[in-house]
Amino acid sequence: MSVKLSDALLKSVEKPSRYTGNEWNSVIKDPKSVDIRFAFCFPDSYEVGMSHLGMKILYHLLNDRDDCYCERVFAPWTDMEEKMRQNNIPLYGLESKNPIRDFDFVGFTLQYEMSFTNIINMLDLAGIPLTSDKRSDSDSFVCAGGPCAYNPEPLADIIDFFMMGEGEEIINEVMDAYAKWKGTGRNRQEFLEDIVKIEGIYVPAFYDVSYNEDGTIRSFEPKKPDYPVKIKKRIIKDMDKAYFPEKIIVPYTDIVHDRIMLEVFRGCTRGCRFCQAGFIYRPVREKSHKRLIEIANKLEESSGYEEISLTSLSTSDYTELHELTTGLLDEMEEKKVNLSLPSLRIDSFSLDLMEKAQKVRKSGLTFAPEAGSQRLRDVINKGVTEEDLLNAVSMAFNGGWNGVKLYFMLGLPTETMEDVEGIADLAYKVVNAYKTVPREKKGKFLNVTVSTSSFVPKAFTPFQWEPQDTRENLNEKQMLLKSKIRSKQVTYNYHENRLSLLEAVFARGDRKTCKVLLKAWEMGCKFDSWGEHFKFDVWMKAFEECGVDPYFYATRRRDYEELLPWDHIDIGVSKKYLISESKKALEEKITPNCRVNCGGCGATIFDSGVCGGN
Amino acid sequence: MTIIRVKFRRGDEVKFISHLDLMKVFERAIRRARLPIAYSQGFNPHPGMVFGLPLGVGVTSEAEYGDFEITDDEMSAQEFADRLNLQLPKGVEVLAAKKKASKQNIMATIAASEYIVIVGTPVECNQKTLKVSIDKYLSQKEIVVKKRTKNGVKDTDIRDMIFDLNFELQPCGDFNIIRFTALVSAGSKANLKPDLLIESLCGYLGFEYEIDRIHRTKLFVRSQDQLLDPMEEVV
Repeated sequence: MSVKLSDALLKSVEKPSRYTGNEWNSVIKDPKSVDIRFAFCFPDSYEVGMSHLGMKILYHLLNDRDDCYCERVFAPWTDMEEKMRQNNIPLYGLESKNPIRDFDFVGFTLQYEMSFTNIINMLDLAGIPLTSDKRSDSDSFVCAGGPCAYNPEPLADIIDFFMMGEGEEIINEVMDAYAKWKGTGRNRQEFLEDIVKIEGIYVPAFYDVSYNEDGTIRSFEPKKPDYPVKIKKRIIKDMDKAYFPEKIIVPYTDIVHDRIMLEVFRGCTRGCRFCQAGFIYRPVREKSHKRLIEIANKLEESSGYEEISLTSLSTSDYTELHELTTGLLDEMEEKKVNLSLPSLRIDSFSLDLMEKAQKVRKSGLTFAPEAGSQRLRDVINKGVTEEDLLNAVSMAFNGGWNGVKLYFMLGLPTETMEDVEGIADLAYKVVNAYKTVPREKKGKFLNVTVSTSSFVPKAFTPFQWEPQDTRENLNEKQMLLKSKIRSKQVTYNYHENRLSLLEAVFARGDRKTCKVLLKAWEMGCKFDSWGEHFKFDVWMKAFEECGVDPYFYATRRRDYEELLPWDHIDIGVSKKYLISESKKALEEKITPNCRVNCGGCGATIFDSGVCGGN
Repeated sequence: MTIIRVKFRRGDEVKFISHLDLMKVFERAIRRARLPIAYSQGFNPHPGMVFGLPLGVGVTSEAEYGDFEITDDEMSAQEFADRLNLQLPKGVEVLAAKKKASKQNIMATIAASEYIVIVGTPVECNQKTLKVSIDKYLSQKEIVVKKRTKNGVKDTDIRDMIFDLNFELQPCGDFNIIRFTALVSAGSKANLKPDLLIESLCGYLGFEYEIDRIHRTKLFVRSQDQLLDPMEEVV
């Protein structure tokens, strides 16, 4: 039975087309014709979720199977949620409007920690028991994947099983196993026993955790000897052969990234020590420019989109960037398709490219030096010098650009007040670079924006043992910068650091943080990454009521010997390597990128990508 | 350059998308269909399309109009419509297409619109008393409503914007369903939204009511003091 959404209800909410489906290229099937129904849930708004490339890929991959019907589910905005609760409308799949509690799988993609309460809220709206121990044979299997799954422990009580690594590689095996299990009369536990044998599957309920008196983990053990001790992530070895849909859904309403997103490679060779993505997606694997142009053509044809953007971490590291961009420009010009480029490393080629490709309003270029001094940039292994930056902005100013955005982090390991002042100095050096450019060449009114966010130490990075800076220190650093930056040409923006504290807790949380999530949700927390819904005081109360100290997770330094909550997950990069990188950071020594010299991180075991290939 | 005028419908599937979003639907469908649409010159080229009166959110229609400028003078209006239909999402469908001779802009010449509004009310009424009351409502010299504009709420006299108002009563258990057909002013000069008319009327009658659905059945352009079907005006 489909849910009944009356006109009056839909008319009373903001942007009703978020909830009605029927978009171009969405897949409509007869539910009776399939064995498996999968609810692909994005725990945030439609606009955010629809911009996510992984969902686009897995949605079509699952729907290309005749035995499976995958539908999209987003977190209803608060106005809609209220109406749904008032009218007893359960969370439903956007394609069939059927309640998702009747589906075989309810799968969440975990993109950022602050979406965790939305997962709980969505399960509640669906009418699915919130924790795995309460679910019976008639309930859906609740699964999850995505970058935050690499430290799955804060959701260990909630999720039945996690899929570690790249979904295209693993999800079909799970569906095949389910097709075999369904209808055999074997129980829920037995299905999980079946799939725990698949590489990359983690069933939290199959493991016991014990703790030391100081709150650290004493042991983490499988309940049966045949459960894997280490769960290895799965990756695609050949990106050209990887599944990629020929169609993507074209939404009606404006979304965050309303264009074709062309993923040129996965991973990153740079090795910035704060960057989780840079480690969990190793090794770097590229798509060939030929395959990318083929994909771009197919998607343009089937979507009618007027814009293509290149996406990847550090896109300008793509080895075939020249061939790809010139090829795309050739193909797309007559079709009036705009090529939008991400932040590239600025040299004469990329400036020329930007001139040609983009209808860039010549105001905005973005750079991320991350730290204000060379010393600290060496600590984090950023691999960018002040000279690089100043050359790049001079070149841009000479080309008529007049706006520069600079991104930094505050609270990086070893940071001193001098490093913080270095941020202001760097901003003024950029202003000076503008002053030396001849008047006729540069744009009017220089506008430099300095933005700082607060550093969050993440699992599987060389900084995973580091304490997060205290909020007091961060406030002081923000105030210092505010007082140092007093030019009309420079604007200083800083992020709310209360949210960063919570991110730090859940990025490195263990199973004890589960109950805090449940408690905070119970007390009304959801959409935490949306400023207007973030309730810091309520969160603090939830920690208190659960007897969990947030600072134990956020601001405590760990020993290398400590058993970390995510140590049972194997991303390929060895702990030994992360320790050596952590030590090198403190010695202010840089590590060259993987293409220059293999640092021996361990990802060669995947036998693919730039390290395995060379 | 040739301009093709298209009549299309908007069904339930797409009644909750905004006018702006609908324009994007057409733009992308035209690209997929590889139709020779003309683009504006300049920094940000826009496809040459002009639509008639924007439809309210939640309203369906069988009388929407758009003018499309194409660069291929040889292409027939029928081919344009057929190719476009293959690429339009469920609920949007081209019903007719004709090449347009006059230069007149569809948006500027819209003058009237006919709607069917289905209203439910628990108030007891019959054909006769309702007819008397509505006639009385219409016989007022002035009908002042509070109209929401960009600059806040404004008192507006809508009497001259109501050209015709008919109804059919369908008792349905304890409930009465009234199906109104309203011909009202539309366009940039004077525009009366059907829900506002019903609010005013039911307020006058003292009726508790609920609008079940609104559907646009006709749209007219004005040509020398005459209301014409936009497709008729084309040739």
